[in-house]
Formats: sequence, structure tokens, C-alpha cells
Amino acid sequence: MKYIARAIVVVLVLTGAAASTQLSSASPSKDKIMISRPSMLPVPTCDPNDPNACGFKG
Amino acid sequence: MNLSSASLISFLEYFEPVLCAIVIWLIVRSRVGRQYGYLLALMCVRLGCSVTSLSLFYATRHTLIERHLAYHIYFYIYWTSYALESILSLLVIYSIFRLAMAPLKGLQTLGMLVFRWVAAISVAVSIGVAASPHLTGITFLVAIITQLQQTSSILTLSLLLFVCFAIRPMGLTYRSRIFGVSLGLGFLAAISLVNSAWIAHNVNMYSRFSLVNGFAVGLTLLIWSTYFSFPEPKRRIIVLPTTSPFLRWNQISMALGDDPGYVAIGGVPPELFAPAELEVMRRASAKMPVSQLEGAESLKSLSA
Repeated sequence: MKYIARAIVVVLVLTGAAASTQLSSASPSKDKIMISRPSMLPVPTCDPNDPNACGFKG
Repeated sequence: MNLSSASLISFLEYFEPVLCAIVIWLIVRSRVGRQYGYLLALMCVRLGCSVTSLSLFYATRHTLIERHLAYHIYFYIYWTSYALESILSLLVIYSIFRLAMAPLKGLQTLGMLVFRWVAAISVAVSIGVAASPHLTGITFLVAIITQLQQTSSILTLSLLLFVCFAIRPMGLTYRSRIFGVSLGLGFLAAISLVNSAWIAHNVNMYSRFSLVNGFAVGLTLLIWSTYFSFPEPKRRIIVLPTTSPFLRWNQISMALGDDPGYVAIGGVPPELFAPAELEVMRRASAKMPVSQLEGAESLKSLSA
């Protein structure tokens, strides 16, 4: 139990660290959303006034 | 994305508010709402956002609302709840740390002080990074939320690492709710960072990663439901060796927070003393040998 829990935690931390190295190369830009909330809902990645409504299907 | 994935995502969308409601109910039922108040607030925000968004989806599918207007509303609902969740996540980490360190009062005080400073600096850095000249209005807000969420995710993973490896000196077990909540938060933080890295390269509202995202959130909510369904095992008696660095640092931290005593060393007017006190001092000086009095006088002149 102890080793399984520790292994899961270490994997999570390493995954987060690896992902954050990918983020550091991407600076916030004007027309791109760079993050999303962990959720089952789709991420609104476009501008609110996007002419195509970001392909919003509802 | 094929039809089966789309229908699975659609199912997961409706599954999230149900799981959130279950977690809220379990927290309230186990009467730990005060201890896990920020987690409760976080769940309420997620539930509110999900219910509002799903109502909007329903209205759009049944053409009760125009698609562009629906997206416009959805955009603000999503990012507002995300901002609230970022702040609440920081507060959840703060409360979990406080709960975990409760038996070691000195380290708890010191850790919370450090945490407050780190959080304040992180918020300042988030605003500073987002305040670049080409970002205005909504993009500026999204950039702040982005930075804040990344900071919160990294802090969460650090907390999880700490709770996992210092679980024994804190008298906790892997069945403790503190560990369960930290593990769930760690899952969300890792997925948030991976998701952000994915989105940085594939900007698409309906991507295959939504499925991974959905499963990760579902798993987190199930972990929390499980931990709050069962009674929490009591904290073990904390037995630390006398040479333990935890014990030593706890003693040092407790001493650091002590209110110091004060002693008057000079400039005390005789009126401050009661007549009886003055009389005692006069008698004591009368009993003192003359050589000792001269020594005291010379010391006084040296110190002056």
C-alpha cells in the first residue's frame, strides 16, 4: 500500500513537471488560450466574439 | 472525433455534476464541512458551473438560444468559474496543509507563514507575467487565470509530495481523508498541466483529450467520494525519536513565535515604584557592603 501510494504520487509529480516544461516554452499570446480547467465540459478556446462560435454545438 | 467518443463525452458531461453533488452530500453527511469548507465551496462552484453550462447546451441543441450568443455566455461562465476555482484551489491547499500539520503547532505556524508569502508572491508574479503590452481585456484576464492555475497546480503537487512522504510524522495513514483530498487535488493538478501542454499545441474545443480529461475528473471525484463515504481512521500517536529533525524544528518554530518578556534596564523614574517597594530597595542597599556599591557604580559608568 505504502509503495503503491508513493509510486502514484511520484508518477503524478513527474507528469506535472514534464508537462510544465512544455508550458514554459509557450508564452501567453493574443489569440490563443493556453490552459484549460480539468473538467468534463469542452474548453472555450476561441475569442468570445468568434464568427464561427468556436464550433460550439451545445 | 467519432460518434462513440462524442456520445461518451456527452455522458461524462452529465456525470460530473452528479459526482459533485455526491461529494457535497458526503462531506455534509460526515459533518466535516467546517474542516473541508474550501473543498465544499470548490465543489459547489463546479456544480453550479456544470448545471449552468449543461442548461445552456440543452437550450442551444433545442434552438432555444442562438449559437453565437450561447458561446459568448458559455465563455464567460467557464472562465469565471475557472478563476474562482483557482483561488479556491489555493485555499484548499492551505487548509489541507493546516489540517495535516495540526499536531506539530510550531511547524504549522512556520509553514503557513511561508505558504502565505509564496501564495502572495505567486499572485504578484501571475499578474506581472500577464501584464504584457499586447494583452488587453479578456485575454489579459485569461492570461492571469492561466498563470494562477499553473502556480496552484505546482503548489498542489508539492503539497501532495510532502503529505505522502511526511505522512508518518504527522500521525496520518493512507486511509486518512487528508491524504485522499491531496491525492485528488494532485490528480487534478497533473491533468490540468498536461491539458495545458496539449492545448498549447492543439487548439480545438472538442479534442480527443476531452475524454482523458473527463475520466481524470471522474476518477478524482470518485476518490473523494470513497474517502468521505467511510469513517476516517483516528490519527496515530505520534512517536518521534528525540533526534528527529521534525521534533527539533517544531521546538525551534514554537520558540520563534513566543511573546518575549521585557526587563527595564534604565530610565525608570522612582515615582513608578510603590512606597513599599522603594523602602525594600532602600533597606537592601543599606545592607549591601560599600565596596559592592562602588563596583556597581563603576559598572554603571562603564555601560553609560
